[in-house]
Amino acid sequence: MRPGSLLALSFLCSLAASAQKVDYVREVRPILSDRCFACHGPDEANRKANLRLDTKEGMEAALAKIGPRIAHEKKALRMPPPQSGVLTEPQIATLQKWIGQGGEWKMHWSYLPPKRAEAPVVKNAAWARTDIDRFILARLEKENLKPAPRAGKATLLRRVSLDLTGLPPTPAEVTAFLNDTSANAYEKVVDRLLASPHYGERMAMPWLDLARYADTHGYHIDSHRDMSAWRDWVINSFNQNLPYDKFTVWQLAGDLLPNPSKDQLLATAFNRNHMINYEGGAIPEEYLTEYVIDRVEATANVWMGMTMGCARCHDHKYDPIRQKEFYRFFAFFNTVREKGLDGSRGNAEPVLKLPNTWQQSRLDAISKRTTELEAWLDERDVVALREGWEFQQPKFPAPPTANEKGTAAASLRFKMSSRLDTVESLLLDQPQLKVWIDGGEAIGRNRRGSRLYFQSGAQVWRTKDNFVTGDWQHAALNLTGTPVLYLDTKPVTLEPAKATAPKNPPKGSKEDIRFFDRALTADEIRILAIDEPAKAILAIAADKRSGEQRRALLDYFFEHGAPAGVRDVNRELRALYLERDDLDATIPSAMVMSEMAIPRESKVLARGDYRNGTEVVTPGVPSFLPPLSPSAPKNRLGLAQWLTSGDHPLTARVAVNRFWQMYFGTGLVKTVEDFGSQGEYPMHVELLDWLATEFVQSGWDVRHMQKLIVMSAAYQQSSKVTPELHEKDPENRLVARGPRFRLPAELVRDNALAVSGLLSGKIGGESVLPYHPPGVWEDIAYGDTFSAQRYVQDHGDKLYRRSMYSFWKRTAPPVSLATFDAPDREKCIARRATTNTPLQALVLLNDPTYIEAARVLAAQAMATPDPLAFMFHRAVSRAPSAQESTLLRAQLAKQVTLYRNWQEGVDKLLKVGEAPVPAGRDRVMLAAWTTVASTILNLDETITKE
Amino acid sequence: MDLRKQFELAMTRRALFSRASTGLGLAALNALGLAQASAASGDKSPTGGLPGLPHFAAKAKRVIFLHQSGGPAQQDLFDYKPQLEKHRGIDLPASIRMGQRITGMTSGQATFPVAPSLFKFSQHGQSGTWMSELLPWTSKIVDDITLVKSVNTDAINHDPAITFIQTGSQQPGRPSLGSWVSYGLGSENQSLPAFVVLVSQSSAVNIDQPLFSRLWSSGFLPSNYQGVSFRSSGDPVLFLSDAPGIDRETRRRMLDSLKAINGTHSTEFGDPEIETRITQYEMAYRMQTSVPELMDMSKESAATLDMYGPDARKPGSYASHCLLARRLVERGVRFVQLYKRGWDQHNDLPRDLRRQCEAVDQPSAALVMDLKQRGLLDDTLVVWGGEFGRTVYSQGRLTDTNYGRDHHPRNFAMWFAGGGMKRGVSIGETDDFSYNITQDPVHIHDIQATIMHCLGVNHKKLTYRFQGRDFRLTDVHGNVVEKMLA
Repeated sequence: MRPGSLLALSFLCSLAASAQKVDYVREVRPILSDRCFACHGPDEANRKANLRLDTKEGMEAALAKIGPRIAHEKKALRMPPPQSGVLTEPQIATLQKWIGQGGEWKMHWSYLPPKRAEAPVVKNAAWARTDIDRFILARLEKENLKPAPRAGKATLLRRVSLDLTGLPPTPAEVTAFLNDTSANAYEKVVDRLLASPHYGERMAMPWLDLARYADTHGYHIDSHRDMSAWRDWVINSFNQNLPYDKFTVWQLAGDLLPNPSKDQLLATAFNRNHMINYEGGAIPEEYLTEYVIDRVEATANVWMGMTMGCARCHDHKYDPIRQKEFYRFFAFFNTVREKGLDGSRGNAEPVLKLPNTWQQSRLDAISKRTTELEAWLDERDVVALREGWEFQQPKFPAPPTANEKGTAAASLRFKMSSRLDTVESLLLDQPQLKVWIDGGEAIGRNRRGSRLYFQSGAQVWRTKDNFVTGDWQHAALNLTGTPVLYLDTKPVTLEPAKATAPKNPPKGSKEDIRFFDRALTADEIRILAIDEPAKAILAIAADKRSGEQRRALLDYFFEHGAPAGVRDVNRELRALYLERDDLDATIPSAMVMSEMAIPRESKVLARGDYRNGTEVVTPGVPSFLPPLSPSAPKNRLGLAQWLTSGDHPLTARVAVNRFWQMYFGTGLVKTVEDFGSQGEYPMHVELLDWLATEFVQSGWDVRHMQKLIVMSAAYQQSSKVTPELHEKDPENRLVARGPRFRLPAELVRDNALAVSGLLSGKIGGESVLPYHPPGVWEDIAYGDTFSAQRYVQDHGDKLYRRSMYSFWKRTAPPVSLATFDAPDREKCIARRATTNTPLQALVLLNDPTYIEAARVLAAQAMATPDPLAFMFHRAVSRAPSAQESTLLRAQLAKQVTLYRNWQEGVDKLLKVGEAPVPAGRDRVMLAAWTTVASTILNLDETITKE
Repeated sequence: MDLRKQFELAMTRRALFSRASTGLGLAALNALGLAQASAASGDKSPTGGLPGLPHFAAKAKRVIFLHQSGGPAQQDLFDYKPQLEKHRGIDLPASIRMGQRITGMTSGQATFPVAPSLFKFSQHGQSGTWMSELLPWTSKIVDDITLVKSVNTDAINHDPAITFIQTGSQQPGRPSLGSWVSYGLGSENQSLPAFVVLVSQSSAVNIDQPLFSRLWSSGFLPSNYQGVSFRSSGDPVLFLSDAPGIDRETRRRMLDSLKAINGTHSTEFGDPEIETRITQYEMAYRMQTSVPELMDMSKESAATLDMYGPDARKPGSYASHCLLARRLVERGVRFVQLYKRGWDQHNDLPRDLRRQCEAVDQPSAALVMDLKQRGLLDDTLVVWGGEFGRTVYSQGRLTDTNYGRDHHPRNFAMWFAGGGMKRGVSIGETDDFSYNITQDPVHIHDIQATIMHCLGVNHKKLTYRFQGRDFRLTDVHGNVVEKMLA
């Protein structure tokens, strides 16, 4: 946290001293909430002395008792007791004064609908460009403060470009704006930025924090998931300016809309972004409960700014939310067709498949053909045919004669555990031949492959490639001459290996081991691999065969016993199934909401424990808020409609407050996630309500609200600050100057990439794996069994995608972003800290991303007449000052001397990053300029919106 | 802390900051929990923490938490149960299990055969503490430790259990113990983080359960209080080394340019964040020297290295991390959180537990001995233990020579040394099956409260306002375990 937080209080104090009438909501209630409600508030079970101070009735009954107790001369009898935090003298005075004035009770401000006030009349009317400014200015005039002058044009352009697209302006855009002297030059820029496809990306970034978006499941094993299709939907929704009410309804309940579109279904991924567990041994019911609670907490935070999670274990201590009401809210989300433990193979059910046009048409064609073929087979009554074949006692070709001591060939069937957890397993241990299999390694995202080893004589051989095991497989070995290995009758490539046979027994089974005196022919191998197992199954009584055996026999029958027509149809059908499965594996999907046919029963959970279900509850909303419309469905759709009806006191306020935070660093209500009793009273309550009502009246027009804010004079002020003003208002809550703060993590990197020209403009798609220090994942990961345990860096364009596309592993988030306060995305986050640490300096100075950006920027600059000016214009949208030029040119000169005598250093520096060094550059000069570019990329100004 | 105090604190910091004309302002020091001792007076009093802390005289100034991830089997190591042999192979009596939940890994087992430990126990030291033959080195320090055999937790699987012991909550989102400590107490070193994390690399074939950065996360505390992971390969601190082709002279020159340009900008804009940034760059520059010096073991004597065992010279091993932990606390690092994985013996316990102990036993004991011989043990608290214990019944088949054990949250053992703890005592008793506590239960929240107490912190008073509520490490629970305290 920045030093000097919570200074809003100083304004409150100054007001308290001067105001004639004590304002209950602003001055009294916060004290009562903080010091008294825990024992005399909404929590019925823990209420002391049957005294309730958060309701009108309760307060009226208690009013006479309060005065004497808060100022009792005996400290021991004074309320509140020390463990609740004693009242300060000014607090006691405020309470006494309020009681003296009659103790008028009012509802907490945010529980009542916003009231739209007329913008106040201000003295300096010429300054105000919008109604926002009149609210801001009226307060400044009251405080005897003057707004700051308008920011310089270049500064303003950089500010608004970073705010609306997350990208700095190009030097050409700066020049164009500087040269445009028309009255609406700024508005034209704003409209251009709002129409940019990068606007949607910028708006999506804070939404990803709220939605706890990530590329892994979190919890224990933390393997991959892919929700990027939903992220694309969010970006597109902002770009298409989907109204916030639809944006809300689709995400909370798109699946419950009549005939939902693909986008409406996809939007519901919002509430599947929570973590999903499948730690071995975890108890499904425990995690089902956690998922639902996470949805409740996220939904309440995002749309209502309520800390509903506090009512999980008991009635809320500060806001009037009963524990039962928490579980009624819970019941809305406890209806999803999901499993408690899931996600071991990517996305967890329920999922929405998102085939492209080609994939869909091929799937349709396959489906049509398989339906035909299945019907054709049905007509032939395959079961009867197979039974008939069996009844006739089919003949099998004779296998080659085995010899226990044979050394020329061997044949065996084996089935390994799909997850081997020893390094190596011994399959066969004979004097003349040892065969074993290794523990396997990851192949592809979800699969694990093993290699087979054998040792005949002194030489060890192994399969060149990994193969997947887990089912019965047949291995045949011809050992005369250069060995040949057949796996399921197909020869595989071998390579010599250095390894010794292990001692551990196999994790799996082996059977039917035979040795031969001569090499086997392909026909003989087929007999051993295919005919012999079928023969063995036939020897088992039909009712004793396992499911696996029955399937194997049916396969054999189709291929060898069925009439030619049936065999051909079966072959085609199997090929189609395989193709469908392969195709299916390549089709992206997203985890979405989908109702169970019969919803789970929801109960109040005593102490919030999944094992302690008590009273059964139906879906419902807290009673202190407006009721659900009687005609509304009692499900998520009804809930979403309730939030977006326009009458809800919180939805619009909470949304516009977050918009404000994006531009000014701090919300009008600083506690953006808590509008309840313990939240901050708004700095400008009338402005907040004006914005909230404007949002609803505009038809929940998100883009309109952004434009409104950035068009205000308040936003366009210079961010320079005098010591006096800083002393008075360190956090700029009064907005007597423009916003100035370090860029969010993603934009620190995006800015460097954009400045260097490396940035990829591609929007959307799967997450990418840019440069990352080795070992960060691997040091804490879970071996190779699961995906996303090893960081395999991407190359090319994927190194330069915007940071919002960086692969987000929850248990090890991207380090350079995390260093700049990016969250781990385990939970819904509505506001980030902005810290200032030495680790950030180390990232900007030494992370290859930034060294490469400096090198590429320098290489371009060298091709221009004034490299230093070029780099400054790119990085900070202005020319360097005389002092800066002198300093950096001196640095350059010294570096040139240094690198002339240190060729190795030049080579090393220019090798950082995969972007090529352009031909024709003086390498010593390039290295020297790179240190200058790196210095510029490290400037406070470069990483700051000012 | 109430709002007003936070407000006053913020004002104090701001005032201090604006007075800091040279060197580092407190706001800057507070970043990363780094703080500067007053160079002029040589004063080593802690800075960067909260005013009013410690709440009372601290016995321990720093903590080394040797977390044994996976769940060491208490009945094979610390909790001697000679009576078990006569129950060998019988199904765990219902009177003992009492319907308590078990994990999904063994809930489907037809029987729960009681598996006595295969390892011999004997008594050691003046205290006569029983120890398993697997821990010959720990057996030598029994008179320096408090052994608690009655620790219990609420969670039954790794993720929630580790998260619980490290953050006080089974679900993610809370600050870790180390973050709370560095938030409350700050640091005594001006160029190292207050909270350092060491993840030891695996030593044997034992499967390592995964870890999560949330275990050293600052949760809702500002992110400068999160643990800084010191890595064993590559840069010990990420991006610590200057980029290839940047030598120290170049780096200094770049920093001088930066300082001058940022300084001018600061004068023009007046935003103190710019001054803070300048000091952070200087601190980074200093860390580039102080961290490599810290990691350089070449000045450790052969005798010291030998004491920590054969792995001590292997970077990233548990043994080298134990030694590094000593070097960290010597330099005033407040909280060293070490993780040693590989204690999850669901099967083949006799073989795998032996291997694990071979890697862990000697370095753990050596750390205590080393701290003691350097006079550091008195004000350094060493904590040793996992996230839960293991079941008395065998997971999978019980044979004369082999068994496995599932997770057991009802009771397990941890030990504590130095920093305000009693020496040579055992606390807590369990039933004949090491399945239920019969005397002096010590809950995870009690452990946390007691660690805080040793640091001079009242666990109920170190709070942080988040989402309208004053959160603390121990939630609304936890009692200081007086019996553990010297």
